[in-house]
This record gives sequence, structure tokens and C-alpha cells, in this order.
Amino acid sequence: MDFEITWRGDVYKDAPQASSAAKFGTIGINFRARRARNDDEWARALAMLSCTV
Amino acid sequence: MTANIESSVPGVSRAIEGLDVERLRRAIQDEYAVVASEPDRGFHFHTGRRLAAILAYEEAWLDGIPEGAIASFAGTGNPFSIGPLQPGEKVVDVGCGAGIDSLIAARMIGPTGRVIGVDMTPEMVAKARASAEEARALNVDFRQGFAESLPAEDGWADVAISNGVLNLFPDKLAGLREIARVLKPGGRLQFGDILVAKAVSEKGKRDIDLWKG
Repeated sequence: MDFEITWRGDVYKDAPQASSAAKFGTIGINFRARRARNDDEWARALAMLSCTV
Repeated sequence: MTANIESSVPGVSRAIEGLDVERLRRAIQDEYAVVASEPDRGFHFHTGRRLAAILAYEEAWLDGIPEGAIASFAGTGNPFSIGPLQPGEKVVDVGCGAGIDSLIAARMIGPTGRVIGVDMTPEMVAKARASAEEARALNVDFRQGFAESLPAEDGWADVAISNGVLNLFPDKLAGLREIARVLKPGGRLQFGDILVAKAVSEKGKRDIDLWKG
């Protein structure tokens, strides 16, 4: 829970070999999250979850 | 709690039908064995000090880290930019490679903390162990293993770090479930990884060459 992407960057630019990164728009990210402290906290987080796939 | 992760969170990739997991693991091990033995060969990703600079690793973090660990660095982010690790904390480094992040973490947490670095590639684990010995890092332990079966007790870790490895899990859900298992309740996850802007086709998900680069 508390998932957050904290940084995005083009980490493949000018790499020695070509890759599929450009084709898929691949970027590097930093992200954080934490394990819920207990089942109640986890249940509350799930109830608030919104995710579009 | 983890059962709810499996049943309730959409968008988390599970096992991929038709993917030859053993072949994928061998291919990744082969690739990263070369990163361990010939880090300057030139890959589809940056490595070493150049990469550390791109990812904003502070020079002070690299002071005293053996060159071998730095040279074979192949991460995609910076777990420490998310927040510092605290003295005495227990850390698991998932896919530790040649050990750069584990060794940085070991210094942040000090002698009362402990790091377990896990990697599936024997050549990387050997290099990480040699670097730990060279750096006289007594609070870090490198172990060969898979992210889906981490060699740590339930609720052991205050923090899980990883850098450029989650994308290589054949079953993201299994890996994340295992990371949740080893974290204490309230434990933190600080990861660097990659994000794709365009969806990968089902055929592409079974294409091992695509997984590698």
C-alpha cells in the first residue's frame, strides 16, 4: 500500500547496444510502497483501490 | 493478507501461460554472468559508474565500495533516493547482482543492522561476496536464490530494496507475495525498476529475447 512512483527517467538513452526500450517506451522508475500494518489497514486500502488496466 | 493480494488486485501479472520459465531463467543468468565477468563489453543498458551517475547515486555512497561491485552495476533506478535506511534496520536486496546496493545499504544501517542480498546468478553472488570481503562488510550476507523463494524468515525485514529486477520476475505476483512475506508489518519497499508505456502482447510475453532486451 501507499504505492508511489517517485521518479521517472530515460535510463536506456545512448546505451552501447540497441534494445526494445524505444519501441515500448520503456523508462526507469523509482517507486515505494509498504506492507500494511494489519489486516484492517489492508482491507481499508483495498476498498479505496482504483486501478485502470 | 497475501491471499487478498492474489484475489483482489487487478493489473498484477501472474504466471504467463506458455512461458518457458526455466529457459528464461537460464537466459537471464547467462546475460548477467557476462555482466559480472565482462562489465565493459557493452550491453543494451548502461553499467558501472556511468550508470550510477545517470541514476543520481551520490559519490559519498560509492566511496569504499569495491570497483568490481560498481563496474557490474546494472540497475534501472535508485532505491536510496526514496529515503535513507536507518541504523539497525534489516534489509533484503532482491536481485542484488554484484552487490553495490547491498554494500551501500550495509553502510547506512551500520553494524547493528543486517543485509541479505539475494541473486539467482552464481557469478554475481560470487562477485558480491568477494566485494563484501574486500570492503570488510560484516553485516551483509549474499545468498543465491530466487525472488519467489527468498532465503529469509517471515517478517524479518524492515526494508526491501531492488533495482531493475522485478521486471524479470516470470510471475510478478509470486515475487511480490514473497517480498510481502519477508517484510515486517509496516515494512517498506524501495525499488528501482522499469515501466513500459506500450502494452506487451501475449506473444511478446513469451518471447525470451524480448525479456532480455
